[in-house]
Amino acid sequence: MTGALTAKGIYKSYGEIPVLKNVDIDISPGTTHAVIGPNGAGKTTLFKVLSGEVFADAGSVDFFGRDVSQMQGYERVRLGIGRTFQVARVFGEMSVLENLVIALESRACFARESWARHFGVSPSPATQAEALRILETVELGRRAGNIAAVLAYGERKRLELALALALRPRMLLLDEPMAGMSPGDRLTAVALLKKIAKAQDMAILLTEHDMSVVFALADQVTVLNYGEVIASGTPEQVRSSAVVREIYLGHEHA
Amino acid sequence: MNSPLQPTGLWVTHRRDMALVALLIVAFATIPLWADGGLRFLAGMALVQIVFALSFNVIFGLAGLVSFGHAAYFAAGAYTAGLLLQKGVPIPLPLILVIGALVGGALALFVAALALRRSSGNYFAILTLALAELLHIVISKSTVLGREDGLTGLKPPRLDLGITTVDLSQGHALYFLLLVVTLVAGFCAWLLWRGPLGRRLAATRLEPDRAAFLGINVHRARMQAFALSGVGAGLAGAMYAPLAQILTPEVAHWSFSALPILFCLLGGAASFWGPVAGVVVFLGVEHATRTVVGLSEIMIGVTLLTVVLVFPGGLAGGVQRLVHSLSASRRASTALTQGKAQA
Repeated sequence: MTGALTAKGIYKSYGEIPVLKNVDIDISPGTTHAVIGPNGAGKTTLFKVLSGEVFADAGSVDFFGRDVSQMQGYERVRLGIGRTFQVARVFGEMSVLENLVIALESRACFARESWARHFGVSPSPATQAEALRILETVELGRRAGNIAAVLAYGERKRLELALALALRPRMLLLDEPMAGMSPGDRLTAVALLKKIAKAQDMAILLTEHDMSVVFALADQVTVLNYGEVIASGTPEQVRSSAVVREIYLGHEHA
Repeated sequence: MNSPLQPTGLWVTHRRDMALVALLIVAFATIPLWADGGLRFLAGMALVQIVFALSFNVIFGLAGLVSFGHAAYFAAGAYTAGLLLQKGVPIPLPLILVIGALVGGALALFVAALALRRSSGNYFAILTLALAELLHIVISKSTVLGREDGLTGLKPPRLDLGITTVDLSQGHALYFLLLVVTLVAGFCAWLLWRGPLGRRLAATRLEPDRAAFLGINVHRARMQAFALSGVGAGLAGAMYAPLAQILTPEVAHWSFSALPILFCLLGGAASFWGPVAGVVVFLGVEHATRTVVGLSEIMIGVTLLTVVLVFPGGLAGGVQRLVHSLSASRRASTALTQGKAQA
């Protein structure tokens, strides 16, 4: 069976310094897969390669059996790979609702959904209703009328998640979705992600520093160190791996 | 709080837009009734510059691209119309305007295809300037375009309206035609500015990476914006030719490219109405100080300096903030009196 997202032999260097060395990763449809590793292990670079922000020097990226290695980021998004950024990027000058409207209108444009959405000036009532519905799923419904710049950090992260969800992705790449959140927010976010992933049968790939989040969410874990995969498997397998304990979990779970 | 499902903000904006349009129509349509020929000519020029500035702001204020060579597309439209008028090609003026607009758009698309390949920042701005200067030189060396002397005696042909024909070179006919064209062009710019494409362009300006990961082809969106902006600039140029009746290479000079930048900064590039306000104020100051040589430059300089220092959002931004703070203080005072009543 083909995976949702399969990367083989990814090699990427910045100048002389190799950041990813022959990385393989295979995310099955409908599963949540975590990439962990110390700072500088190459997690974010792997994310950029998978999402199309940068191209790998060698190796291939397949999405549901289709080679997307040479596709730009926006083309991969159109195929169904949504992503969020490590530091949430939203359109701060616009209202939360308008942020969602842009995502929905973009989808209507590239998916050739409805001609009505290309014309007219105000967003159509259908677009606005859908925007509000998506905001409800990330519990931002009551913030719809606010300017995005005034959102709290956790809310901004959720808005970014809503932007990605609005494109109806088949797979989500979440770069440190919980970074900078308070422990309380994290629990809410974990529950929310679980719910969304289950409801929409989406594959999720995430990087995360907080091990409790990883073990609460992930079906599979891949451990990166110095640009190489040093362990891969279920959370239990990874947790019990001696190599991983030594270099990564040692100081936390000793 | 207002329900987010009814974007009252947007509807209020639209109502305000309609009111401003009505005000402008009344102001410009009544000018021939009381003004002399000189002022009417100036009002015609203001219409041309409004179309020019609105089209420039599509890339500047909306898409966030800086072009220092917008005179090139203006000149392309102007000389296209100028040649057609001079040779007496038997096509009606509205069609000449459309042709001029398309030539401006085609040139802008070509320049964008060249210059947007590498960057959208400083290098892009310099490349647009260089290509515009190239056109300026070509025009001033081309015999068919009249070299430095330009094209003269550009009279608009009679316009056949079916039931009657209008002599556009007599009376106010040309002025009213230009007013109608400005309204149509302004409406198109407004649709673009407030509609889905405008929202996507604003997205590419604010967060290009985020926009790309919403499936927006940022490069293509910028190309579209630049080409559409070129169409507007070409139209403005084609409007200019029959109004000025003379074309010189000046219209392709870099100092002519500086005009829309000035209008947008003066009026406020972040707002749809900013460029319009900029044109009206700029030409108003110039007209009021026309008797003293050099005074208009000083006045414009002082005005621009004041606006940049006091209202960072231009005149439109300043007015918006003023309205905002007024309504905020009104709300605060009602809240205060209500609080007192409750106490």
